[in-house]
Amino acid sequence: MKRIGERRSSTTLVVTSLLAVLVLIWSVPIIGLLISSIRPKSAVQSTGWWKAFVNSSDLTLDNYRQVLGGSSYTFVDSAGNIVRASGDNLSQAFLNSLTVTIPSVIIPLLIASAAAFGFAWLDFPGRKTFFTIVVALLVVPLQIALIPILRDYQTLRLTGSYLGIWLAHTGFGLPLGIYLLHNYISTIPRDIFESAFLDGARPMVVFSRLVLPLAVPAIASLAIFQFLWVWNDLLVALVFLGGTDNVAVLTQKLASMVGSRGQDWHLLTSGAFITMIIPLIVFFSLQRYFVQGLMAGSVKG
Amino acid sequence: MKKIVLSILIMTFLVVAIFAGGQQEPAEDSEKVVRVFGAFVDEEQRRFEEAIKPFEERTGIEVIYEGSSDFETLISVRVEGGNPPDIAALPQPGLMKNFASQDRLVPMWPSLEEAIDENYAPVWKTLGSYEGTPYGVFHRVNAKSFVWYPKKAWEAEGYEVPTTWDELMSLMDRMVADGYTPWAVGIESGGATGWPGTDWIEDIMLRTAGPEMYDKWVSNEIPFNDPVVKNAFSVLGEIWMNPKYVYGGTNTILTTSFGDAPLPMFFDPPKAMMHRQGNFITGFFPEAIQANLEEEIGVFPLPSIDPEYGIPVLGGGDQFVVFNDTPEVRQFVEFLATWESGESWARSGGALFPYLNQDLNAYPNEIERSLAEALVNAKVFRFDASDLMPAQVGAGTFWTGVVDWLTGRSIDDVLADIQRSWP
Repeated sequence: MKRIGERRSSTTLVVTSLLAVLVLIWSVPIIGLLISSIRPKSAVQSTGWWKAFVNSSDLTLDNYRQVLGGSSYTFVDSAGNIVRASGDNLSQAFLNSLTVTIPSVIIPLLIASAAAFGFAWLDFPGRKTFFTIVVALLVVPLQIALIPILRDYQTLRLTGSYLGIWLAHTGFGLPLGIYLLHNYISTIPRDIFESAFLDGARPMVVFSRLVLPLAVPAIASLAIFQFLWVWNDLLVALVFLGGTDNVAVLTQKLASMVGSRGQDWHLLTSGAFITMIIPLIVFFSLQRYFVQGLMAGSVKG
Repeated sequence: MKKIVLSILIMTFLVVAIFAGGQQEPAEDSEKVVRVFGAFVDEEQRRFEEAIKPFEERTGIEVIYEGSSDFETLISVRVEGGNPPDIAALPQPGLMKNFASQDRLVPMWPSLEEAIDENYAPVWKTLGSYEGTPYGVFHRVNAKSFVWYPKKAWEAEGYEVPTTWDELMSLMDRMVADGYTPWAVGIESGGATGWPGTDWIEDIMLRTAGPEMYDKWVSNEIPFNDPVVKNAFSVLGEIWMNPKYVYGGTNTILTTSFGDAPLPMFFDPPKAMMHRQGNFITGFFPEAIQANLEEEIGVFPLPSIDPEYGIPVLGGGDQFVVFNDTPEVRQFVEFLATWESGESWARSGGALFPYLNQDLNAYPNEIERSLAEALVNAKVFRFDASDLMPAQVGAGTFWTGVVDWLTGRSIDDVLADIQRSWP
């Protein structure tokens, strides 16, 4: 017994140290990014971030100040005075991003879970065919749908409205959502449904009372995926929402922050950390479900 | 518990739906609005908005500018999708020709054409035309044929600005003899790596083969592997392929980002003595240098090679084209054709303007003034060839060809490849 225990602990040690090394390698770029984000422009451009350990006196929060408070501009006003003003701060963009993201996560989640339930447990003609079509849509890149959808939106007067971009993200997110939730929901034991139906429950009741609560881990992991995708999206927002100040989302603000020729790319470092905040909050608050969700269906219960 | 979760979800959905209803109507139909879409962002956007304020105050028309660094992709998507802006500022003449050939653009009306004839050199009207019909109005432009040098180091060594190619070559040899590296070059630019190299080739083409040959080259009337093009590559090779002439040798040229390329000039002591790049490069200089630009930096046009062609200027610029013909849009475009629309931006710096009647004193320092002067007075001005050529070449094989050449392929092979890729 003792020997097995010893061997085990030595294997654990090897595994742990291996993992530690991997984690370290994995985090080196992120640490580099973090350190670069607190170095001044000239230092970022001339030496590598590891040099910051040698000469740590010139660390600064200036990059964060510029990203949060808007980079400073100089221009000449009509009276001929040189004005040094600072650009818009990110609060409006944060708000826009949240306005775009939250409904773009909730709407597809609701539709996808209902659809997944239908495909998994309800009997209707063409069920398999429809499901195959939905799964096949996974491989269609959304870029090819941009122009046709934009044309339709023009007729429906949806371009530039939030509703338009919610629907767009919903549509683009549904195939993966339905597929993922279907896999999970179809592993719920048949007995549960049978007893519910025997008790006279209608499908809607079964869905809301049984399926939704039981599928919470899968729904949560899907929510994380969808949230990250919408939060980080630039293309769909630019096409359907446009980039004027009142609707520009965070990614657009960040992209324009580097300047027309990318001369201010050092700001991207701090910008990355600032935009990371909300996805991190979402991830950590749903993390518990995320692991469960990934394991969904791996062991038959 | 389950009920609560569900009802919260449904509530959110309802609230969202109602909220969406209220958001549906953007203020697009308001009459006195002009929507402009362009590629410049951030500080440049702010300066543009400041420059057009006099127009807004005078006419009461609101100009909403939207800038995006993904402009080239987006403008095509929006035009195809039936959602074009009123006015777009196109950085590439090729885009203008595409839209013009699809009848998407509003051609210039007589009063605007008169203003163009009066305020611009003829070359700008030609650049904004497709099959003889003028469409585009140039506003802010850039010029690329300039050599930047660290003034103080030059003064200390007693170097003088070369006016001919021979003087340039002998100056380079003198620098090498003094223990310096003459040039700092970098062509890395992510997916667009190679473009600073194409600018060099274009500049040398203009100086060795002349503007007419240049035009034929751009339209592929002479093949890409014509001897004159090969000659331009050889002239450049004499500099680039000589490790004594270029800081770090060919490897450094390939791996240095174009924005970081001038930095060796500002090391102490300077690691390089010259850098050839457009007027926008000052934005990449270290802040300490930018603050004292006139004292720290000198600039001269890349010298002439064949005296017959003088000192041509290579450049580019955004042209404003009209998609929606309304009285407000017309008023605004006519305003853009006047020096008044550029004056404030010129004062802010970082921009050159092509207007014949511009006031050179508006530029904030001696350097930009001399650049603007060189631009307005140039007998020969040509648009950046890689922007004029079809995208497969101008934004593709020409760029990669320069990279291939630097990694050791022969000029003949590289040029033959580029010619083969011509659509």
